[in-house]
Amino acid sequence: MSGAHATDSHAGHDHGHGHSHDHGHGHELPFWRKYIFSVDHKVIGVQYTITSLLFLLFGFALMWVMRFQLAYPGQPIPIIGKMLGASLVDSSGILIGNGYNAFGAMHGTIMVFLGIVPLAVGGFGNYVLPLQIGAPDMAFPRLNMASYWVYLPGGLIMLASFFTRDGAAQSGWTSYPPLSVVNIGGQTWWLIGMVFLITSSLLGSVNFIVTTVQLRVKGLSFFRLPFFVWAQLVTSFLLLLAFPPLEAAAVMQLMDRVAGTSFFMPGGLIVTDVVQNQYSGGGSPVLWQHLFWFLAHPEVYVLILPGLGIIAEVIANNTRKPLWGYKALVHSAIFLGFMSFIVWAHHMFMTGMGTTLSTFFQFTTMVISVPSVIILTCFIISLWGASIRYTVPMLFALSFLPMFAIGGLTGLPLGLTASDIHLHDTYYVIGHFHYVVAPGTIFAMFAGIYYWFPKVTGRKMSDLLGKIHWFFSFIFINGVFMPMFFQGMAGILRRQYDQSYQLHGASAQGLSMMASWSAWCLGLAQIPFIINFFYSAFAGKKVGKNPWEATTLEWSAPSPPPHGNFDAVPVVQCGPYEYSVPGRKSDYLPQNIAMEA
Amino acid sequence: MMLLADAVSHYGNWLPPQLSTHGDKIDQLIFVLHVFMAALFFGWGVYFVYCLVKFRARSGHSATYEPVKGGASKMVEIAVIVFELIVLFALSMPVWADYKNKPPTEAENPLTVHVHSKQFEWQFHYCGPDGVFGRTDPKFISTSNFIGLDEDDPHAKDDLQFVNDCHLPTGRPIRMEIFARDVIHSLSIPTMRVKQDAIPGMRIPIWFTINKDATTAKVSEQMVQTFSLGRISWYRIRHHVAAQDYKNKAGDIILAKDKDGALGSNAAAGKEILQKLRDAGFTEISLRPSNPLEIVCAQLCGNNHYTMKAQLKTHTADEFEAWQAEEIKKKNTELEIEF
Repeated sequence: MSGAHATDSHAGHDHGHGHSHDHGHGHELPFWRKYIFSVDHKVIGVQYTITSLLFLLFGFALMWVMRFQLAYPGQPIPIIGKMLGASLVDSSGILIGNGYNAFGAMHGTIMVFLGIVPLAVGGFGNYVLPLQIGAPDMAFPRLNMASYWVYLPGGLIMLASFFTRDGAAQSGWTSYPPLSVVNIGGQTWWLIGMVFLITSSLLGSVNFIVTTVQLRVKGLSFFRLPFFVWAQLVTSFLLLLAFPPLEAAAVMQLMDRVAGTSFFMPGGLIVTDVVQNQYSGGGSPVLWQHLFWFLAHPEVYVLILPGLGIIAEVIANNTRKPLWGYKALVHSAIFLGFMSFIVWAHHMFMTGMGTTLSTFFQFTTMVISVPSVIILTCFIISLWGASIRYTVPMLFALSFLPMFAIGGLTGLPLGLTASDIHLHDTYYVIGHFHYVVAPGTIFAMFAGIYYWFPKVTGRKMSDLLGKIHWFFSFIFINGVFMPMFFQGMAGILRRQYDQSYQLHGASAQGLSMMASWSAWCLGLAQIPFIINFFYSAFAGKKVGKNPWEATTLEWSAPSPPPHGNFDAVPVVQCGPYEYSVPGRKSDYLPQNIAMEA
Repeated sequence: MMLLADAVSHYGNWLPPQLSTHGDKIDQLIFVLHVFMAALFFGWGVYFVYCLVKFRARSGHSATYEPVKGGASKMVEIAVIVFELIVLFALSMPVWADYKNKPPTEAENPLTVHVHSKQFEWQFHYCGPDGVFGRTDPKFISTSNFIGLDEDDPHAKDDLQFVNDCHLPTGRPIRMEIFARDVIHSLSIPTMRVKQDAIPGMRIPIWFTINKDATTAKVSEQMVQTFSLGRISWYRIRHHVAAQDYKNKAGDIILAKDKDGALGSNAAAGKEILQKLRDAGFTEISLRPSNPLEIVCAQLCGNNHYTMKAQLKTHTADEFEAWQAEEIKKKNTELEIEF
């Protein structure tokens, strides 16, 4: 069926292309085949996008409740307090310690595994990548469909854990044993959910790699690929190689919880005064940490790389000149991907690591900062000599740059063991990684949504609502995370249900009020976006193939593209960012010869 | 019980006060890094804002196809790499190696303390003057014997155990062996720049020395320096109280014992005190940190993780021996009474 069709090389293809593809059926697909169990990468991309945006909103909502407890410790949660279950609040509607920890663990898990990765890779990668290489679909469309339909149950299983008697998993998104093995709550569901989610990513990553290698159209050599495709390719390698150890570890922890094994359980444990004789022991909690972080460090590059890819596209398009240092960008992305596999133990400096190992990991951590600096520098230098259009995607892309800089720079004191002694497990860490994912990746995601929305729907989003969304998001997101660096310096630790308990951080606790109010206002600032997104999909201004006057191949397909994507198979004549080429009337030269004006 | 408001004024707004011999180098590294980070950020930032304005799209302006020549950016890149290498090899690795690779020798007479961490408290086990820890076994654990000490072991006679109450001498190396009974905890003493995970199944040693300055200050100009990276200065002194009354020749009190703020509410007031101490002929004064020093848990360990906190009290070396002898006497008297 479609699998066979998609792997035919285009070179020898002589079917007529002036009609939409039916893949041999000769009749229209029923609704449930076209929109629910679809093998079309565009439908799957939209499914991933909507699902992940809903998960992101839910994960954000968990934090609104947590931030209320942080700003007003011991007060009943307004409006919904009494509605939450006994695993979360007491009888007056005050969040309890278990509830706080459950929200915390699930916030991290949902944002990383159910929100950002499915959006960045499953949403944007799926939709845009085949279009950008001129392919009619992914190499394995059914595998693609499978990866979505394994992701969704995995996410729902995790959410279902909130409704069990003891509530959701509450041992951090990092799930360190022995706590995660002995703790009450839905850790078992979390582990099962992780197996589903990881499987989904593995299926997807194989697809992306094969598609990129095999299905590029004529003329599209590797060094003519848009940087977005390179970013997705490196990301897919990271997913493919890094996730399996965590899937294995998740199964091992599951066995420790339900089958009495001791993979991570040492002997002699006494939990709440009860000797844990059911474990033979001999297991190592540190083993889990190694297996977890072996994935979770490359995972953070999975979180940022697609965002960098989107930023590259938006910057090139809105500066009207080629990206500066394309080769440096590509080599840096590849080097970054490789290095990301040998830095993981910088998350474990405080576990009792000796100097030999910690020296190695400190060193690799310093080295990995170099390609990040190169990538950021290339983007900033791309602005020189430009003609900058301040479109909504560009506003998000530009504001990404200093935000990513703050996130990246604050990684330095954390990556050096000596300074990490003071800063480990404090709010400084929370500030650091949130700067990279929140005003970093999430802003890149918004840039991508505003940028590719016209291609997906055939309609533009409202510029006014977009600018309002950007402006208030930018202000309030800084209001949430900037105070955290000061709190971390003062020694305020993370995962604290009540920060006022520890006096050494007292001076900086007032900042929690500022962070909480900023978080609630940030939530309100998303309303213009939500309205814009749904309203414009049905009633936005209609556009043609290339409203942004962009060069890459997706803009030579109709908006929205039909099944099979292109009216005529594209042929590539040049690099991806030929803007303002001297001697030409128009200020851009499309990659697809057929689109040339 | 110190109120939040008092704690704010004692702890200041940036890094907490630092009382160990190795901590100053950590603070120095943090400071140097942030200067570098700020320089890089503002450097990039100026270039960035300049581009946003100069190269905005407007009528009559178009973009240039040719790439900018990369000379300056290569220099910046190389400078960043060189700086990171310097910081790594000169400021971080040696500090970490020093902290990790140099356990106190027998000659330095370290104090060894066993720290047992469990949900949600810290237990401290002292071996007493005989230097040998009494045998422990879970079967002896009870509400009064929380570490499970076997009182029949002759070495246990001079052992002491406390929950959430830690006493340490200054100026003498301390070696802590950290145990976890149930889940991963993390021993964190922010005011000593000490942090070490406590992992079940492991016995992890750490060592540090509390600076004698935490309990003794030379009467000198340094006491009233307003800013100095880690050295004695008014900035640090103001977080202390006098350990005894200091009187001038006429018998008037210059510095009252344990009185908050007696060392002056600002550097100028501090200078006055300094002069009076000099006139009275003192060369050194004994101090105590006025803010409560805390040992907290830095790794999520359950629903009451945030409550896991011990008080840390510092003593001079002699005071510590006296305190320890007193406690051993008290313990053995209680044990006798039990029979």
